[in-house]
Amino acid sequence: MNKAAFILEQGKVAERLMEKYSKDRRLEADRNNEPVLWAKDAKDAKVLVKSFMLDDNFKIDFLSDLTAYDNQDGEDGEKRFVVVYQLYSLEKHIRIRVKAAVDLNESAETITDIIPAANWLEREVYDLFGINFTGHPNMRRIMMDERFVGHPLRKEYPIKQRMGFDDNVQFHLGGHELHVDNTLLEDGSPADTQNRATALPEGGK
Amino acid sequence: MSPKTNVHTLQDFYNPNVLINLGPSHPAMHGTLRVMCRVNGETIEDAACEIGYLHRGIEKLGETKNYHQWMVYTDRLNYCSALNNNIAYAMAVENLMNITPTERCQYIRVICMELSRIIDHIICVAINALDLGAMTVFWLLYHWREEAYTMIESMCGMRLTTTYARIGGMSYDLPDNFLERLWKFCEEMPKALDEVEGLLSSNRIWIDRTKGVGVITKEDALKYACTGPTLRSAGIDHDLRRDRPYYMYPELEFDVVVGSNGDVYDRYLIRLEEMRQSIRILKQCHDRIPMGPLWVNDKRVQIPEKMDVYTKMEVLIHHFKIFMEGIDVPPGEAYTCVEGPNGELGFYIVSRGGPKAWRMRVKSPSFMLFQAFEKTVKGGKIPDAVAHLGSVNIIAGELDR
Repeated sequence: MNKAAFILEQGKVAERLMEKYSKDRRLEADRNNEPVLWAKDAKDAKVLVKSFMLDDNFKIDFLSDLTAYDNQDGEDGEKRFVVVYQLYSLEKHIRIRVKAAVDLNESAETITDIIPAANWLEREVYDLFGINFTGHPNMRRIMMDERFVGHPLRKEYPIKQRMGFDDNVQFHLGGHELHVDNTLLEDGSPADTQNRATALPEGGK
Repeated sequence: MSPKTNVHTLQDFYNPNVLINLGPSHPAMHGTLRVMCRVNGETIEDAACEIGYLHRGIEKLGETKNYHQWMVYTDRLNYCSALNNNIAYAMAVENLMNITPTERCQYIRVICMELSRIIDHIICVAINALDLGAMTVFWLLYHWREEAYTMIESMCGMRLTTTYARIGGMSYDLPDNFLERLWKFCEEMPKALDEVEGLLSSNRIWIDRTKGVGVITKEDALKYACTGPTLRSAGIDHDLRRDRPYYMYPELEFDVVVGSNGDVYDRYLIRLEEMRQSIRILKQCHDRIPMGPLWVNDKRVQIPEKMDVYTKMEVLIHHFKIFMEGIDVPPGEAYTCVEGPNGELGFYIVSRGGPKAWRMRVKSPSFMLFQAFEKTVKGGKIPDAVAHLGSVNIIAGELDR
């Protein structure tokens, strides 16, 4: 695809977004002329992602990135955070960015059930910003230690604050469940008597 | 085998919940990666990856350093292909400021990116082979990696952490004999690739260890948003250099290499062929690179000539302002990505004006690849996990940021 055709394609996307999706939503263009669509709220963002994947004009099938940024200065509305979804179509090679504002006491909606790749990305947003994603299968910290307090990418978190831990956590399987063998012996006692490992350390989750 | 005597049943010896820890510091783990496995015999039944051992808060630093200062942190993302990161970042800031680099600059950048792609693929293939016991490949390829690093050293004075790109240009122009050396490299390096291909591609042991191992299927690759050679090995024809063209790529001829099985062997073949394609691009760049200015003629970003800084007052002030205050980037945002050696490397910068970014997001390919690794390593054996991990080439610096 040459550059002119590509710009044309991107223009079509914006037109289509304008036609069908811009009711009650704000449509912007970023500095690369890629469309940015503001969802009404966090729930609406998921609805948008879903409908973009079904829309034949976009054929979105790929999550490039999921991140967030702190909106402490209030430039982008009153709510504290903005969750950003970078969507991409491998077939049409177009990008659409969906943004949803999320307040401090609000939580966003997980999209792991539509795009499993969002799993770690949402965990990262949770870890670094403290935004919860409802319905996420494994909402744990990912970059920081599980005993860490605070969310480093919030603007109020100081750059030089360190947090040390003097010992290690007990070995576990990162929130994944252990295999449970339910077969019973002839006398009715459970076959799986050995319970050497635990899924999570005490009070881990 | 009587089930009544509880002591001697098979179940007593079978514990499905044996946890085994791989990494974070083990030579086969390529940096500080940790995989916690639940094994049954030698089969990995479940795996949980833990990351963050190399987390340095690079994104947070991006909000506190100005745009120039942060350039050095991009070296420390994927430290195997620092040039690629430098240029991707410079491109991201230039897009925010609506700056198009000069033609010569663009050619130099393409040369740098392809050179770093070759280096990265060399590391991946050589180390993967080394993990599986083939040391000769390592020596053969690392000779050329050294050669490439020496060339990079002549360009910018550094080997690993290059910091070569600048916003609006490059820190130095190409040295005098660079193009001749590049040509020599392009002529001789493929011979090493032929040799490696002769050693590995039809080698019984290599095939046994890699074919059908660490399979990332087409569906998985899409689901877990893999990019780069891993995505292409699964049979998806996607390359940002061709599909979302930047710089001189639309004018250069190269083929996108696509595999079909998504296993370690396919990824190895793809990396070898991509190195040849990079050589092809380098040769075209060698022929076409024009003379002309290196820097854009834009007072906002242009770093003045050193000689003028020493001799002219205004230029000295300009120099001082660029480096002490930083460049002023207008408010706005942009997501800019390039086809890095491992996949899509993107920078999402939100600017609120001023010399510092409001949000500096690095979309690293390794992050998505490691997530896919966690899901696809299940069902394989522990030695296969090592082969698999080596072939997707996850770099901890980029993974943890």
